Amino acid sequence: MIAARLPELVEQLTSIVGVEGVLSAHSDLLVYECDGFVIEKNCPDVAVFPRTTEHVQAIVRLCVEHDVPFLPRGAGTSLAGGCLPVGGGVMIVLTRMKEIEEINLRDRYAVVQPGVVNVWLTQALKGTGYHYAPDPSSQGACTIGGNVGTNSGGPHTLKYGVTVNHVLGVEAVLANGEIVQVGGPAADAPGLDLTGLLVGSEGTLALVTKVWVRLTRDPQGWRTLLGIFESVSDATSAISAMIGAGIVPAALEMMDQGILSAVEAAFKFGFPLDAQAILLIEVDGLEAGLDSQRDEIIALCGAHGAREVRQAVTAAERQLLWKCRKQAFGAVGRLSPSYCTQDGVVPRTKLPYILEKITEIGARYNVKIVNVFHAGDGNIHPIVLFDERDRDQVKRVLAASGEILDECIACGGSVTGEHGIGVEKIEFMSKMFTPDDLDCMARVRMAFNPTGRLSPSKMLPTSGACGLEQRHPGRRAAM
Amino acid sequence: MTVATHSLPLSEIVEPTSQAELAEIVARAYANGTPLYPIGGGTSLNPSAGAAPKGLGVSLARLTRVVDYPARDMTITVEAGLTMQSLADVLSVEQQRLPIDAPNADRATLGGVVATATSGPRRFGQGTIRDYVIGISAVDGRGVAFKAGGRVVKNVAGYDFCKLLTGSHGTLAIITQLTLKMRPVAAATALVACEVTGFDQAEALLAALTQSKTSPTAIELVAGPAWDEDRFVQATKSGCAQLVIGFEGTAIEVDWMIAEIANEWRALGVTESSVLREAAATRAWQRLIEFPAEDAALVVKAGVLPSRVTQFVAAAQQISPNCSIAAHAGSGVVYVRLPSFASHEGPAVMIRGLHPAAVKAGGAAVVLSCPVSHELTRPALWGPTRQDAHLMRAVKAQFDPKNILNPGRAIFEN
Repeated sequence: MIAARLPELVEQLTSIVGVEGVLSAHSDLLVYECDGFVIEKNCPDVAVFPRTTEHVQAIVRLCVEHDVPFLPRGAGTSLAGGCLPVGGGVMIVLTRMKEIEEINLRDRYAVVQPGVVNVWLTQALKGTGYHYAPDPSSQGACTIGGNVGTNSGGPHTLKYGVTVNHVLGVEAVLANGEIVQVGGPAADAPGLDLTGLLVGSEGTLALVTKVWVRLTRDPQGWRTLLGIFESVSDATSAISAMIGAGIVPAALEMMDQGILSAVEAAFKFGFPLDAQAILLIEVDGLEAGLDSQRDEIIALCGAHGAREVRQAVTAAERQLLWKCRKQAFGAVGRLSPSYCTQDGVVPRTKLPYILEKITEIGARYNVKIVNVFHAGDGNIHPIVLFDERDRDQVKRVLAASGEILDECIACGGSVTGEHGIGVEKIEFMSKMFTPDDLDCMARVRMAFNPTGRLSPSKMLPTSGACGLEQRHPGRRAAM
Repeated sequence: MTVATHSLPLSEIVEPTSQAELAEIVARAYANGTPLYPIGGGTSLNPSAGAAPKGLGVSLARLTRVVDYPARDMTITVEAGLTMQSLADVLSVEQQRLPIDAPNADRATLGGVVATATSGPRRFGQGTIRDYVIGISAVDGRGVAFKAGGRVVKNVAGYDFCKLLTGSHGTLAIITQLTLKMRPVAAATALVACEVTGFDQAEALLAALTQSKTSPTAIELVAGPAWDEDRFVQATKSGCAQLVIGFEGTAIEVDWMIAEIANEWRALGVTESSVLREAAATRAWQRLIEFPAEDAALVVKAGVLPSRVTQFVAAAQQISPNCSIAAHAGSGVVYVRLPSFASHEGPAVMIRGLHPAAVKAGGAAVVLSCPVSHELTRPALWGPTRQDAHLMRAVKAQFDPKNILNPGRAIFEN
C-alpha cells in the first residue's frame, strides 16, 4: 500500500480500537508475517486487534475507504499460508474477541467469539456431559474462528465429522463492512446454506465474528488400542478390513517406524521401536457395545499380521497415547533440522498403494520421509525430513512433495484434507478442478467479495496469480 | 403429498440421458430465456409462489447410473436421478446404508432429496444429507457443467458447493451426480414410546433426554388425530401426545438402551411405556418418515429451538385444533399437517399463525406442500424476509444470471 497514507490509517484505526489495539512498527509486525507455512513471508502494513463486531465493521469500512487489502487472522497455526498478507495491507487479528458468550445444553449449542481457543471450549464444557467434537492437534492454540476458516479436522473427525458438521451458523462482517448472520441455533433455516459455504472459505468471503457450534454428547466409554505391525502394508490392510467390517472407530491413526523412534524418545511411552507401523485405534459409545467391538478389532488386526494389540487400560495411559499422537510433529525436530509435511487424501483402500509410492518417491529423490496420519479417513501427512541449508536437498524435497500430491490426485483423492489451499497449494487447484469449476468458485467470491480486497490471492488461481514461487520448504507443525 | 408435475407450468418435459445433453438443454434455455423446472421423483414439487412463467420440465429420470461403488472405501458415486430405494438396494448388498429418511423412497430421487435437504426422524442420531454429500456435479443456469468436492471423505480444496447446493431447491444449478459417504447398516433397532399427559411433562422428558445415558437415533413427539388410531403406546389414549424414542445399534446396545430409558422414565414418573420391535418397529419408522408426505391440505415445516418444540406444538394446536403433528423433537424440527382449511384461511393460518409462532420459538417455518399453493402468497409460504436474503440473491445471480432455474420457487427471491 502507499506508505504515505499509512500514518493517517493508523491514526484512524487507533481511534477505533485504542493505541493498545494497533501494531504498525515493523519489529512488532514480524510475528504476523506468516502462519505455520513459513516458506513465504510478508509483513502486513498494520495489525489491528478488534474486541467487538462493531470494531471489525469500522475497520473494514476504513479499509474500503482507503482501498487497502485486509484479511483476518486467528492464532496463525494454519499450515498453508491462509493468513499470509499477500501484498501487505491491514491484518485483522481476532484473538481479542475471546468470549464464550453462551453455553446452552438444553438446545445443544454454544456461542463463541472467533478468538476462543478450541481447547477453552472443551475445558468450559468439562463435567457437563457435552463436548465440541472437532479436535485439531493444534487445539491448545488454534482458534474456533480459524477452525471455521479452514474447516479444520482432527483425529476424532473420522466418526464425528469435521468443523462444518458442527457449525450451526455464523455472524460475519462482509467485505463491504455489513454485518450479517447466517444460520443460527435453530435447525434448517430457510434458504441457501450460506453457513456451509462460509465454513472452509479461508477468509476469502467474509470475516467471521461469532460462531454457533453444535455440542455433542460425551460417549459413555472408550476402548483405546495400539496395534503393532511388522509391515506398513499389514497395518493398512487391517485398516481396510476394519472399515469394511462396518466398524466406525472414533479415531484410527497410524505412525510408521520412522516417526515412532522420535515419539518414543520424546514421550517414553514404551512403543516397540522395531515395529514397522502402529495403529492407534479408538472406539467409543455405549459401554454395552464396546467390548465386542474391541474384540472384533483385535481379531481383525491379528488376522492381518499384527504382532500384538495392546489396550490403554487407565485414563492416564489413554491420555499419554493421545499426547504422543497429537504432539508427534513436535518430536520430529529430533530427526532432522527441518521438515515439511503434506496433507493429501486418498480413498482408504488406496493407503497401501500410496504409502508404497511415498517410500519409492523418497528413495528416488534421496530424502527421508516418515508418516503419521489420520488413516481411517485416508488423510496422509508424509513428513519429508531435510536440512534447509542444503539447497540441492531443498529442491529434491519440493519435487518429492509435489509428486506425492500428484499421486494423491491420480488415486482420485485430494491435495488437502484439512489444512486448506491458502497460498501453498494454489497451483494444484487447476489439477483438481476444471476451468469451469474454478470459474464457478470465482463467481461466488465475486458475490461476496467483489473488489477482492478481502484476502487477495488466496485459494483460487483465478483470483489474481499470487506470483509466489516456492523456493524452499520450511519447518512446519501439522495435524 | 400430491405428486404434482401438473403444479408446474410446463410446456413439455425433456429427459436427458447424460450430463452433456442436460448442459446443452440448459445452454439453449439460457440463450432463449426459457424457464426450466428440474424434476426428480416429483414428490416435492410444490409449493411455488404465484403464477410462475411457462417453461420446460427437466426430468432426471434417465440419469440413474451407479457410476462407482468402491464399497470398501464406504463411498458411492451415483447419478442424481437414482431413487432412494434403488440406492438403498445397491448399498444393502454390502451391508451399508445412507441413513437419510425420505418419504416415498420408491420415487424420491437422491438429487431431489439433496436439492430439498429432506430429512427424517433419524436426523437426531445420524445427521442430515448435508453431512453425507462429499462430491457434487451440476449444471448452472448458463449451461455450464461444474463440480466440487471429490470422492474422498475428507477434502477442503475449494469452496464447499456440496453444502451450498444442498437445500438450494434447484434454484442455483441442476444436480447431475453425487458422491456420498456411507454408514454400516444397524444390526438391531427398536422404538420405545410413552404417553405424555401435557406439554409441560413432554418438555420435562425431552429436557431429561439431553442427559440420558442412552444414545437415541430419533426423538419424536407426535400429536393429533393422525396418531390417535394405531397408536405407538398400547394403553388407551389419556394424554396430549406420544413421545417415541428410536434406537439403533447392536442387539446388545439396543436391549441395554430399552432397559435404561424405562428406568430413566420411571424416575420421572412415567410408569407405562411400549417397546416396538421387528415388524412393528419397521412400521413405526415408516409412519414417522412418511408423515410429512401424506395427503393434506397444508403441510408446514418449522425449525425451532429444541427447548421450544412443545411451545410451538401447543401454539399450532391452538391455531388449528384438528391439525396433526410429528416433531423431530431432539432436533427442533416440527411438521404440522392440516387436514383441511377454507382457501381464504390459508394465508391467515400462516401469516398470523404459524410463522409468528415459529419466530417466537426461535426459528422459522415454511410451507412444505400445499395443493392449492397458488392461493398462498410469498409471505404466507415462506414467512418474513430473512436478513441474509440479499446475499442469497447475489449468489443466485452468479449461478443463474437470467433467473431461468425454478423461477418463483426460491424463498430468497424478491
